[in-house]
Amino acid sequence: MAGLVLIAAIALFFLWMVFIYNRLVRLRNDVRSAWSQIDVQLKRRHDLIPNLVAAVKGYMAFERETLQKVAEARARAVGAAGLREKAATEDRLTDAVGSLFMVMENYPVLKSNENVMQLQEELVSTENRISFARQFYNDLVANLMTKLGVFPDNLIASLFSFQGAEYFSAGEEDRALPSAGLGAGKND
Amino acid sequence: MPLTFIDIERQKSWRISLLFLFLTALYFIFAFIVAQMVVCFIPGFSVVHGSLLVVKDLRYLAVIGFSALCIASAHFVASGLIAVRQVVEQIGAKDPDPEDGIHRQLMNINEEIQIASGRAKRIRCMVIPTLSANALAVADLRGGAVIAITEGLLSRLTRPQIEAVMAHEAYHVLSGDCLETSLATSFFGMYASALDGLRAGLAEEPRALPVAAVFWLLVQFETVVTMFISREREYRADAGAVRITRNPLALAEALDIIAKRWSGTGLISDGLEMLCISSPRISDHDEAEGWWDDLMSTHPPIRRRIGLLLGMAHVSASVLAKKEMPKPPAQAERQESLLYALDPDNVWLGPFSIAELATFPWFSPKTWISREAGGKAERAADLPALNGAFASSSPGTAAEQSEMSCPACRRPLAKLPYEKTTIHRCMFCGGTLVDNDKLQRMLARNDGECSERALSLVRAVIADNQRSLAIRNLRQLDRRKEQPVQCPKCGRPMFRTFYSYAYLLEIDKCGICGVTWFDPEELEMLRCIIENRVTGAGSLSTDTTA
Repeated sequence: MAGLVLIAAIALFFLWMVFIYNRLVRLRNDVRSAWSQIDVQLKRRHDLIPNLVAAVKGYMAFERETLQKVAEARARAVGAAGLREKAATEDRLTDAVGSLFMVMENYPVLKSNENVMQLQEELVSTENRISFARQFYNDLVANLMTKLGVFPDNLIASLFSFQGAEYFSAGEEDRALPSAGLGAGKND
Repeated sequence: MPLTFIDIERQKSWRISLLFLFLTALYFIFAFIVAQMVVCFIPGFSVVHGSLLVVKDLRYLAVIGFSALCIASAHFVASGLIAVRQVVEQIGAKDPDPEDGIHRQLMNINEEIQIASGRAKRIRCMVIPTLSANALAVADLRGGAVIAITEGLLSRLTRPQIEAVMAHEAYHVLSGDCLETSLATSFFGMYASALDGLRAGLAEEPRALPVAAVFWLLVQFETVVTMFISREREYRADAGAVRITRNPLALAEALDIIAKRWSGTGLISDGLEMLCISSPRISDHDEAEGWWDDLMSTHPPIRRRIGLLLGMAHVSASVLAKKEMPKPPAQAERQESLLYALDPDNVWLGPFSIAELATFPWFSPKTWISREAGGKAERAADLPALNGAFASSSPGTAAEQSEMSCPACRRPLAKLPYEKTTIHRCMFCGGTLVDNDKLQRMLARNDGECSERALSLVRAVIADNQRSLAIRNLRQLDRRKEQPVQCPKCGRPMFRTFYSYAYLLEIDKCGICGVTWFDPEELEMLRCIIENRVTGAGSLSTDTTA
């Protein structure tokens, strides 16, 4: 009788382990697919920016500096490797595109250009998609990190050496740099 | 509490089964009553069993219960499968037009919301071609889901506000309560439409009365179903929308705009109100609180919803009052509109009103204008008050010629962008051809700009039309006889009719191609009429008594 109870207890324990393990795998896969979504949208933005710059170039002869900044930020973002660096360069690109939009407000003639307005809408939409995809990804990472940290899931996680995921955000030191750089640029 | 939208989607709402039980019980009662009637009306039957009540025999009860279960299941599945199609047909929603700027934006926003919710479910967006301001979501058992938003709302909201509304509806879909409400509307929608069909035939066929009575009774059960639909779900969807967009203020502003506008009462049919973001039905319960109102209403008080959202945004209600779009009052414009203009011979003329300016042949967007004699000169194009004066005359920069020609002067019509959609305009006479499905859009996107000339013209035309309509009605004459305009698309004669009996402006419609022809300035006049609600009812009474 005692043997049976023991076997049942072991079987139950095993089932419980499988359940926790599967849940962790599912979370990890959710995080991965969320990351691929960000990646798709970042690529979309990288493809759209040159088109917009080319379309507005003729109208904005005096804003060469702004356009140049966007192009530089884009080049840096395309070349970035690693999550932390990517997040930092993409943040800078977002800032640069934002300032381009602001400058574009001063050119009413652009408002009547259907092509430019369409490109701008696409880019605005992409910016939103990136921020939403990022928000969703970070939520999932937070979810995974909680699961990896709480007892008893952390036991299973360490047993199968589950790795946590990194948040998609620029570190404090990365964030400080671009704002200083932009400030200097504006004073020129 | 589920942590992500994927989790929400994984958990299905248990209340669906409650609805199913309700439906089964309903059919059980019906089957029972029918069985009782059979027993009562067939004397032999009751004699054989020696009793009036079939209840006493458990076998009969089991048979009734089983058949009720079968009918309820069939009904449940059938209405669950057709819910989306049924609602979409009922409200006349259309797929967004990818060539239309605002519709393209809507498609983009829909995509963004799906990304924000981790693509937990595929959702289609559609547009309802009406001027009312409302939005609704519908889902069915097949897994299809549609968010429909009216043209009127689409044109009044900013991008973040549309996003908030879409997120609200998307949360309904993701949390599963949309499926529940869709099924509830679909259950009795079938009977309601059957009843409408019967009503028409009832005069000729009085024997159908009992059937109609049964259907009518079934439709009344809808009120009971609304009791199942908790108003809490709107609060939850508001909170869910904020979680998706992280922008409570935009949703509060959108709700404020919806609350102050016509939300589709009378247009969105009864039974669909529980799908909408704000109830189109005028009901005392909706704006009241208490357990009875909670039970009887489908939507919580909109003021309270806005209050909660403003609380999340940590701002006070005065923000909304400030954001209220300033509508250009026609009167104020009239007073300040005396302007000086530089004629082609470089001589300052004036002062003129805008209406007078518009009559000069040399008046163009490039004309120099001054507000006072010897004051600062500006280009006419830079004065927003003058833009209305160019509305009918400004040719597009690159007008694409279409294959159709103007029915009045036989010149090819030009394809022009107009309020982010396209129209076909004759560049010679200014007549305009508009697809009927685009008409509501451009009327909804009216920015309220209305030149004084158009306004006075409209008043005169409407008064005239009212008078002639009154005379025609008094003399019981048929329509005015005049040469009909030929449809530029199919060449068949168009019929001349009023836009509506509220807005007495005559337009030409083709019943076959679904297009409307506006004589020169008529489109601008129609926009002006609708924006300023020029109905001229006062002048009608004076005219008819005179």
